[in-house]
Amino acid sequence: MSALANTFLFAEPLQHYLEYSTKVLHDLIAANRQGSQNIVELIGTDANPAKVKETLASLNPIVFSMAAHGNYTTTTLECTELFMQVGDANVPLMKGRVVHLNSCQTGAELGPAIMSAGALAYLGSNESFWFYVGDEANTTRAVRSPFLAEWQFEVSLLKGKTVGEARTEMLAKYEEELTYWIEGEGKTHNDAGELARILSINKAISTFAGTPGTKPSPAPTVLLAGNTPWVLIGVGGLVAYLIYRELKRKI
Amino acid sequence: MSKDLVSRWFNKLGPAEQDLALLILNGMAYTPRQTYDEVMRGSPIGDQLQRMLEMGKFGTTYAEEQDLIKSRLNQTLSKKDPDKPLFVALSTISVQPKVFSPAQLLQEISAGTPIGQQWIKNEADYMHRILQVR
Repeated sequence: MSALANTFLFAEPLQHYLEYSTKVLHDLIAANRQGSQNIVELIGTDANPAKVKETLASLNPIVFSMAAHGNYTTTTLECTELFMQVGDANVPLMKGRVVHLNSCQTGAELGPAIMSAGALAYLGSNESFWFYVGDEANTTRAVRSPFLAEWQFEVSLLKGKTVGEARTEMLAKYEEELTYWIEGEGKTHNDAGELARILSINKAISTFAGTPGTKPSPAPTVLLAGNTPWVLIGVGGLVAYLIYRELKRKI
Repeated sequence: MSKDLVSRWFNKLGPAEQDLALLILNGMAYTPRQTYDEVMRGSPIGDQLQRMLEMGKFGTTYAEEQDLIKSRLNQTLSKKDPDKPLFVALSTISVQPKVFSPAQLLQEISAGTPIGQQWIKNEADYMHRILQVR
C-alpha cells in the first residue's frame, strides 16, 4: 500500500545532545502544521527502534524525519540505540517515503541504500554535521541556527511544497543563517565565525536524492477537487432554502 | 571596486573577521583591517590588495593557502576558552558522541584527522565567502 499523503512521522530523541536538534524541530512543527495533516512525534524514550518501526507500519507516513547520531552505514535513535543499517530489515521500511536523516555521514552509504529500497526522496549529510552547544538547547539563535536551516525542509513540506521546492528553500535558509553570522546582526557574537563555519560545513555536506516534483502534503483544496461540484451544489441548495424560508416568514 | 566599496566590505565584516589574516601579497599576510588601511592610504600595496579583492583571490600558492588556513583556524580558536565545550557532531565515530572544545578541535586540525580535514577544507570556502561580501 502506498504511504499516506499528509501524514508525517518525526522521531525526536532528546539524549546525547540530540535535544539541540529535536527541540527546534518540535517548535517548527507546532508553528507550521496544517489542520489537514496527520502528524505523530515520537519524543525522548518514545523515539526507540521498536516504537518507530511499529508507527511506520501503523501510520504509514509519506514523510519520515529523525535526528540521530550516525555514520556512513548506520543511524541510531534515543541513547544511540541502533535503528537502521545498510543491509538490515529496516531499510526497506523507507520504501515510498520521503526520508530525512539529520545524522552524520549517512549520505555516503545508508542514503543510497534507502533510495535503492524505493524511497521517494532522501535528505542527509555526507560527512559530520556540526552544531553549537555554547548555550542550553533551544535558548538562543546560536544553538538553534544549524537546525533552523536543516529543518527548513520540513517547514516547507508542512506548508505543502514539493520536495524539490523544500530542498531549494532549505539551501536558501542556510544562506540566510550564514549571512546573519557573517554580516548581519549576529556578526558581533563571540563565536560568530565558528557558527558561520559550522553552517558552511553543514550546507556543503548536505545531500539530496529523489524526484523533485513529489508533493507529500497537497493542499486540502486539491484533495476536495473531485467532490467540488457536489459541495457547491449542496452549499447552493442550503443558501437557497434559507432565503426561501426567510422570504416565506416575511410574507 | 572603489574605495567606498572596500570601506563597505570592511565595515560589513564582524569584529573577529576584521583582524584575521585573509590575503597574502609578496609573502606577507594581510587582515581585512590592514587591507582597508592600505587601500584608504592609496598605497601601491593597497592597489594590489584591492585588485585581489575584486578578483576574489587570496593571492596565495596552494602551499601558502594551506598555511593561511591553518593559521586562521589557530588564531580564531586560540582566542576562546580552550576547555569550554562548544561543538558537537552528530556522528558515532566514538562510542559516545564527542563534544569538542576549541583546544580539542585545534588538536584535530593540527593532527589532520578526518574532523580536522573537514574544517580545513571548509575554511577555503569560508574565506571565499568573506571575499564576496559586498
